[in-house]
Amino acid sequence: MIEAEVKKKLGNFSLDANVSDEHFICLTGKNGSGKTTLLNLIGGILTLDEGHVTLNSKSITNLPIEQRQVSIITPDSCIPHLDVDRHLVWGAKRKGLNVEHGYITEVKTSLGISFDGKVRKLSLGMRERVALATSLISKPELILVDEALSNIDNHRDFVDAFRNLAAKAKIDVIFTTQYPEDSAQSDHHYRLESGKSTRLF
Amino acid sequence: MNWLKLISFLSLALLVIPVILLLYEGFGPLRDPLGYGYEVFRAIELTLISSAIAATLSVALFTPLAYYFARNKNSFGETLSDIPASIPHPIIGIAILVIVSPLTPFGRFLLSIGINFFNTFLGLITALTIVSAPIYIKSMQPFFQSMNMAYENYAFGLGASKFRTFVSVVLPNSGRGILSASLISMSRAMSEFGSIAIVAYYVLQQPFYGVNPAPVLIFQYYTYYGLGPAVTASAVMILVSIAMMILLRLVKR
Repeated sequence: MIEAEVKKKLGNFSLDANVSDEHFICLTGKNGSGKTTLLNLIGGILTLDEGHVTLNSKSITNLPIEQRQVSIITPDSCIPHLDVDRHLVWGAKRKGLNVEHGYITEVKTSLGISFDGKVRKLSLGMRERVALATSLISKPELILVDEALSNIDNHRDFVDAFRNLAAKAKIDVIFTTQYPEDSAQSDHHYRLESGKSTRLF
Repeated sequence: MNWLKLISFLSLALLVIPVILLLYEGFGPLRDPLGYGYEVFRAIELTLISSAIAATLSVALFTPLAYYFARNKNSFGETLSDIPASIPHPIIGIAILVIVSPLTPFGRFLLSIGINFFNTFLGLITALTIVSAPIYIKSMQPFFQSMNMAYENYAFGLGASKFRTFVSVVLPNSGRGILSASLISMSRAMSEFGSIAIVAYYVLQQPFYGVNPAPVLIFQYYTYYGLGPAVTASAVMILVSIAMMILLRLVKR
């Protein structure tokens, strides 16, 4: 359950947004509406001017990124020099998690990761699959996906598979998209317009 | 008429003509066998090895600082790190000698445990590291600033600490930047004169016993013999520097 009431001023742009929901949350809005700023505030990349962020009843407002249990994924997110299999368990190793081989296989199969090699040499869509899978395997409490689902082939099927894996691992997800129709695959839908949020369902 | 191009090439000529003239005179009319003798090659060997070690030390000691400056605005710290590059270099030499001066308790202590900078290989490397490290830091900073923050933010989100992210994510993806910056730093160390003329006019340790660093040797030739051998030795040193520049260009491609 993520509860965020955030205010942030960046130059002439002001964000004043609320998100209070769980499971698979879709965030839509045009370019410049504040989607990335909102995710950066929740993830701890930016600091709030006012407000608070609570994750599963714990305040994470003042925690550094690495202690929030929040994974942030953009289209560029990866650790380029690693090969796919080392990449997939990198986050879990940092957290000292003992991940079963069967779970890794399940994630790889569900998300269509049937390739190998250095991550920097993969296509954008393949890199995003690996980044998302790595986040799932590291078992955070929240995954923030900033436009990183749009470049993946068969993206509808992929989103369904990703959503199922996240639900099974009890991980909440907020994903941004410029396409309102993507909200059909989500449990909740928020729209951002000029920095103001509206809960649609 | 492209005036900008003309002015640019004229200013470039101002920089290049003295070098070309020196090469022409050094290997032509003013050629002196002393300028490419055994002593000169030993001096160049000492300069290359000590500069390479200084550049390696800069990588080992100052890469974290360059990364810190790239990610955290710290004008005061950056100004401090510029000091060795912006003061007259003989002052660096004096400062290094003060550290091991028998006139101070700390100096006496260092000397008592065998640490001496005066006319030693250690002193030469220390001076070269201090004067070239600011150049290394200044070269690495823009490299780190241009590195995509998404890698680091992703690693933080996966639970990695800032230090772990630096070691396991930033460094493995910085090889080319580090190599390029260390070659720039090494070039700067090779051209150093001011501080080493005071700290290590020559090295009194094997395997370089009695060998002068190349810039010091050129100065010594000039003061002893006048232009002849100094010009030829300078021309040889310029060829070595040009080879370094070509290597740097190849790395940057």
